[in-house]
Amino acid sequence: MATDGTDGRRRRPGRPSRWPGQAAWPRRPAHPLLAAAIAAGLAVYAWVDGAAVPFSRGAFVGVLIPGAVLAAIALGRTPERIPPPRELDITGMSYWVIVLAAFFEWEASAWRDSSWPWHPSFTNLIDPLMGPHLVKSAAILVWILAGWALVRR
Amino acid sequence: MPPIPTRAVTIAGFTILVAAMIVLEILARRPGSRIPTVGQWLGYLMRPKIGRFLVLLGWWWLGWHYFAR
Repeated sequence: MATDGTDGRRRRPGRPSRWPGQAAWPRRPAHPLLAAAIAAGLAVYAWVDGAAVPFSRGAFVGVLIPGAVLAAIALGRTPERIPPPRELDITGMSYWVIVLAAFFEWEASAWRDSSWPWHPSFTNLIDPLMGPHLVKSAAILVWILAGWALVRR
Repeated sequence: MPPIPTRAVTIAGFTILVAAMIVLEILARRPGSRIPTVGQWLGYLMRPKIGRFLVLLGWWWLGWHYFAR
């Protein structure tokens, strides 16, 4: 069994490996100061974006920029990627499938009924929680970090 | 006994399902677990390029849905 994330497939000579990708960027910044600067920059960005008025151009640009940056990184300078599992256990994965299917069914039924406040959708419940600036900014920061985690996959 | 409002039932349903996801993730992180973590099954879905594109698109959509509108 291959443990290098290549699934035991042999690479063609001269062909770059897809997994783990050519490590253009290390997993962590080389210097703690750089890591602190990046963290501070992301926190400031999330704080500024969190102040944007919903449905405004600023709010749209605020989510467009992280999407564009991470898309550019995913397409261009891919960071060192975490090898995915060769296969998933069917039984183990079925638990996730059941829970996720139930969640989407519950959300779809609330959305179809469209009778707020009697059948609130997940969004209806989350939106009020996003009211405080600090909470919204923290959620944006988590969202950006989740995007970075996905790019590394 | 007063009837349970449908709003409470709906919220309870979401609470139970989100709690179930958290429990699954905790169980998946135990050594030798057959349950994959979120990162593992997302990584598996992202093996093909189309899967990678769709998962990243879903991530961006979540940001737009909750933060921009």
